[in-house]
Amino acid sequence: MTVHDIFNLIVKNTREVVPELGEHAFQPADRLRDLGANSIDRSEILIMTLEDISLAAPLVQFAGASSIGELAELIYAKAAVL
Amino acid sequence: MQKPQSYDLVISGAGITSAIGQGVPAFTSALFGGETAFREMRRQGRQRPQPAEGSLYLGAELESLALPDRITGHKFPSASLSAQAALATVHEAWHDARLEQVDPQRIGLIVGGSNLQQRELLLTQEKYRDKIAFLRPTYGFAFLDSDIAAICSEAFGIRGPCFTVGGASASGHVAAIQGIQAIASGVVDACIVVGALTDLSYFECQALRSMGAMGSDRFAGQPELACRPFDSESDGFIYGESCGAIVMERYSHARRPGVEAILAFSGWAMSMDANRGPECSLDGEVEVIRRVLQQAGIEPREIDYVNPHGSGSSLGDRTELQALRACGLSHAPINATKSITGHGLSAAGVVELIATLVQVKAGKLHPSRNLENPIDSSFRWIGPVAEEHPVRAALNLSYGFGGVNTAICLSALR
Repeated sequence: MTVHDIFNLIVKNTREVVPELGEHAFQPADRLRDLGANSIDRSEILIMTLEDISLAAPLVQFAGASSIGELAELIYAKAAVL
Repeated sequence: MQKPQSYDLVISGAGITSAIGQGVPAFTSALFGGETAFREMRRQGRQRPQPAEGSLYLGAELESLALPDRITGHKFPSASLSAQAALATVHEAWHDARLEQVDPQRIGLIVGGSNLQQRELLLTQEKYRDKIAFLRPTYGFAFLDSDIAAICSEAFGIRGPCFTVGGASASGHVAAIQGIQAIASGVVDACIVVGALTDLSYFECQALRSMGAMGSDRFAGQPELACRPFDSESDGFIYGESCGAIVMERYSHARRPGVEAILAFSGWAMSMDANRGPECSLDGEVEVIRRVLQQAGIEPREIDYVNPHGSGSSLGDRTELQALRACGLSHAPINATKSITGHGLSAAGVVELIATLVQVKAGKLHPSRNLENPIDSSFRWIGPVAEEHPVRAALNLSYGFGGVNTAICLSALR
């Protein structure tokens, strides 16, 4: 599992939660909030991604991510520690 | 309650989703043709794990559910089956009543039914039992029945009161009575009343079977014969997925281009038996019928069609006929909508108001399926074939566990 794999999982889950983004070309610098994902959407996307890689970790640990790329990095780092 | 002015409150739009057809035209065609969809149920979560042979729960399930493009399910990916059925059904009623011409602040929506999403809750609980940390945050509001009202409010931009009410199998009627009162009190000008799809899990099916309410042991291998209200061989109700929506408003308010109002509410009544249990009460049923006739200001002999509760419960069906006879209504043509649709539980009251509406419109009464030996043959049954019959005044009844009795009188506007 690479950071890129996690990025792709976030993209997949974002498209499921916010179907309007189905055609969007996601970039690591994209911010979920700017793409129209509200707070519930964002927590939903995060949980789904954590479930995909079976990483049970408190959501608050990922609150610092400011972009999808940063979020992928944070999840990757946390998964690597465990 | 005061008697309403003649034709004061009318049905200005209708929508329906049922196992025998989605949309009023398909539903109407299936109803008059007596086309049923009973089988051993297949929807995930409907049958208990490892069922014994011959013990599968019977019912009628939606073959498919078409959601309109404008409100596409994509917008509400976590919407339950009950919510999706409500969206599709309200969409039809909304357009039938041309509600886009009405101020959204003056539109309300009342969902009839409680504990509507049991099957989906069960599936969620089974899925996340061993990984609760990953439970989706949306469960925090999607588990509420009021989510169905909220989704409809967002999808259609409704700004008036939107809420749910419960009255077991009389929930649809309870919602309709609430809608009538919301208009009468001036809170809204138009009210959408939804009889919501009760999505049973195998837990509810099992309990309803073991308490003797749901059939059928007798017709376990013959689902098409199992649903037979008022027949001597009936051994309980057979479930049928359905959702109905009607729009109600004052006649003067409904006179918009394209809106056809053919049925008015002339009376409505609700009474309780002061009994928590599932048993019916002859006294309670007689009381609610007398009240509704009195409120409508019509004599029993003027009723020329009865759309009964007719669930298929042996005792319930017998008691219902006794009550009708005691109230002087044994002369009126009567059929059993549930023999075709199955019992929609929360949806039933609204589904049967719509069944009455389409029969009045067609001047024809739909057949009753499997009514081979009526438990009381002196009633004026509509048997296996639809019959031409103009209706001027109809009585529709709903009863629910917990001693709930409701009755609604309807008058044809033509």
